[in-house]
Amino acid sequence: MVNKFIAAAEAVSAVVTRCQTTEQATVCLAQLAQGDAVAVTHFPDQLQELIAPLPRVAPEALATTRLTISHAAAGIAATGSLLLDLPDPIERSATALATVHAVVLDAEHIVPDLNALAPRLQELLGSGQSYLSLTTGPSRTADIERVLTIGVHGAKELRIILLEGRL
Amino acid sequence: MSRKEIQAKIDNPFLRKALKNFAAAYPVARAKAFEGLDFEALRQRIAARKAENLHVLPDLVKRFRTSAEALDAVVHLCRTPEDAKRTIFEIMQAKGADFLVKSKSMTSEEIELNHYLEARGMRCLETDLGEWIIQLAGERPSHMVMPAIHKNRDDVAALFSKATGRDCPSDIPALVEIARQTLRSGFLEGQVGMSGANVAIADNGTLVLLTNEGNARLVTTLPQTHIALVGIDKIVPNLEQALDIVEILPKNATGQKITSYVSFIQGSTGEPGRELHIVLLDNGRSALAADPDFAQALQCVKCGACANVCPIYEIVGGHVFGYIYVGGIGLVLTPFFHGLENADEILKLCIGCRKCNEVCAAAIDIEGLIVDLRDRIKKPFGQKFLFGTLMKNRKLFHTTLRAAYLAQKPFQSSGGRIRHLPLILDRETANRSLPPIAEKPFRDLIAERKASGPKSGEKVLFYSGCLADFVYPEMCLDTVTSLESLGYQVTFPQAQSCCGIPARYSGEMEVARDLARINLDVLLAEEADYVVTICPTCTMSLTHDYPKLLAGEPEWLKKAEVLKAKTFNFAELAARKIPSIPPLTKRGVKGISVTYHDACHLKRGCGVWQQPRDVLKELAGVEVQEMGDCDKCCGFGGSYSIKYPEISQEVLKNKLEKIVATGVETVAVDCPGCKLQIEGGLEAAGYTVRVEHSATLVARQGRNQK
Repeated sequence: MVNKFIAAAEAVSAVVTRCQTTEQATVCLAQLAQGDAVAVTHFPDQLQELIAPLPRVAPEALATTRLTISHAAAGIAATGSLLLDLPDPIERSATALATVHAVVLDAEHIVPDLNALAPRLQELLGSGQSYLSLTTGPSRTADIERVLTIGVHGAKELRIILLEGRL
Repeated sequence: MSRKEIQAKIDNPFLRKALKNFAAAYPVARAKAFEGLDFEALRQRIAARKAENLHVLPDLVKRFRTSAEALDAVVHLCRTPEDAKRTIFEIMQAKGADFLVKSKSMTSEEIELNHYLEARGMRCLETDLGEWIIQLAGERPSHMVMPAIHKNRDDVAALFSKATGRDCPSDIPALVEIARQTLRSGFLEGQVGMSGANVAIADNGTLVLLTNEGNARLVTTLPQTHIALVGIDKIVPNLEQALDIVEILPKNATGQKITSYVSFIQGSTGEPGRELHIVLLDNGRSALAADPDFAQALQCVKCGACANVCPIYEIVGGHVFGYIYVGGIGLVLTPFFHGLENADEILKLCIGCRKCNEVCAAAIDIEGLIVDLRDRIKKPFGQKFLFGTLMKNRKLFHTTLRAAYLAQKPFQSSGGRIRHLPLILDRETANRSLPPIAEKPFRDLIAERKASGPKSGEKVLFYSGCLADFVYPEMCLDTVTSLESLGYQVTFPQAQSCCGIPARYSGEMEVARDLARINLDVLLAEEADYVVTICPTCTMSLTHDYPKLLAGEPEWLKKAEVLKAKTFNFAELAARKIPSIPPLTKRGVKGISVTYHDACHLKRGCGVWQQPRDVLKELAGVEVQEMGDCDKCCGFGGSYSIKYPEISQEVLKNKLEKIVATGVETVAVDCPGCKLQIEGGLEAAGYTVRVEHSATLVARQGRNQK
């Protein structure tokens, strides 16, 4: 299922990095940041250590942030999609405006297809206001002469940091 | 639609190339996207559930409203486009806003919102790249999913240069980057954001939005106020049904497994001060949902696939083939959303090939609805004499056809075919020669013929159809000969008349009903096991249309059902005998192969496509070498080729290309109309490829066996 997810994500121009340890993931994120301040969305407590070392941008600089890092609630193997649960508009805009969007996904949270994700979606949509985005590859358009072009309004690059073998 | 407008589209080389490339690429991408999924099961499920939903639409609207309001959304139910526009204007006014930043919404195109707001001093910015291009050009979308498919990079560069005040190159990645940079300030400065919704969920008040560019997430997030404009037909009861639509929509629309972004939005999300207004638009939908004849049109999920596969759309594009909603379903929705006056002309543009029905994500009988709408409009566009007087009177009609044999003589060339008709009719023969009306119709030949068929065996009544009877009598004789050689007893009832299709397609339903009654009496008067036709359009008329036309008359309906049960195409009856006859001792002339053209009404009207191939192989002794797009329309469409010869001939050219590419010498067909069209096109273009009805090839093989 992990291989299927990776193949599907790569087929839509996402770049997947497989990480066997927390340390690998931390290094990978640091490399992506290139020392710049980054925007970060809500992360679960047990993964805070991944993003702790990174300098953060000021909220007013969000619109010009190059890199935003977020955490996916789930992944879909059939399409290489990531489920982002972003009720906060500030965090959401950070993921929508950044040039590069890096998303951390736990391989254990990959489900086979959209149908298999239904119970999780139902649960997230059952508790008051929310805003979920299934994200599949970077932003794209084919509106001029049907030529596929990456990065029109959303992220030009989608990086997936896939956490494997952690318990 | 004016001839000038149609001709301008036909003469636009970029548009033609863009649409042709898309028509070729789309089926490949679509097939790949659906790999491993059962499309038919999925769309039937969507269709069944959407049909159920429409029965309880007012209740769904109420439920959605309650759920959405519980999440803090303000729901506005608007009956007319005017109500919706005023509501949106007032929301903006109340916010002290004069700048609306929009992601793609076909519903906003439907109510022509931008024009309304701009006339009242507000600014609207479309941020979907295609919509922005259209907005800058001051045009309407020519496709539901790809609004600017008719614009090339040079057009876009010129529009962007004008909009930005700097020189923009005709380079696609550079143009996309310019759009990113230029529109970004719109997202940041727009005081109110507007989106549509692909689905709205009644259970939990969720709006579902599918986009590729990411602009919908920006317009629903950055401005403090979000207005979602949603047609009430988009409401489904639960998440399960919403996910079916998410599953099918991108695959059918663009051949993508899923769009880059699928967002599920509940409420305004975030701190106080943020507002979500949901403007639910009716605009004729409630009335349509309650209309037993046309309600299924609202099952549409707006994927645009009906345009993607339409042979007419491929030639003229959406500015001709549609109004605001384009493609087959656009033709159907226009009279309900935008009034009959805007639909009358475009409804005639459908050639009736039913290709759209095959791909519709909600299994809508789009072609059937288009034909029924012509009736509903009650503005028949055929000639009064032709349908009112001539066709209802069989003897007069047939006498006229006989007279035409003499009248055509001056125009026949040495080979007997007609290449030039005088004056106005000349458009008709520009790229297609016409076969002459035969000196002796089949009805005379068969009356003179000595009975030679089997004395026992299943009894078949032969319904030839007018075209074969009067233009291709030999094809009819071949049908009789080959069926007899397969052991059928064949008789031809002389009193049979036109099947009624030309009248029905022209909106003359009363004439069609009269003809149905005449033929029912004739074809049921004699005891027989089967009725056989060699024209699939006649078959459709006899089997599908008669019960529908006579549904209100129980006695006649019963008769129509009896006829329906025993009527078959030639290939179907012939194929039944394959297992019981000895294998061919001699195959056809060595190495002969044919290519097969599937008639629209045979494949999609009757669901018959395998039997003709079996008949050719096992009974005619030839190999079938398939051509590309073998089931795509040839452009005939009966009277369509006379009403719109320019379009018909362009569709024909595409077909000829595919035929010639196979390198075979014979095209087999099961339809006299396709034969007339393709044969005429091949001859006018100077090709020697022959076009034969399967019955002729089977009869020829029979003679060869002797």
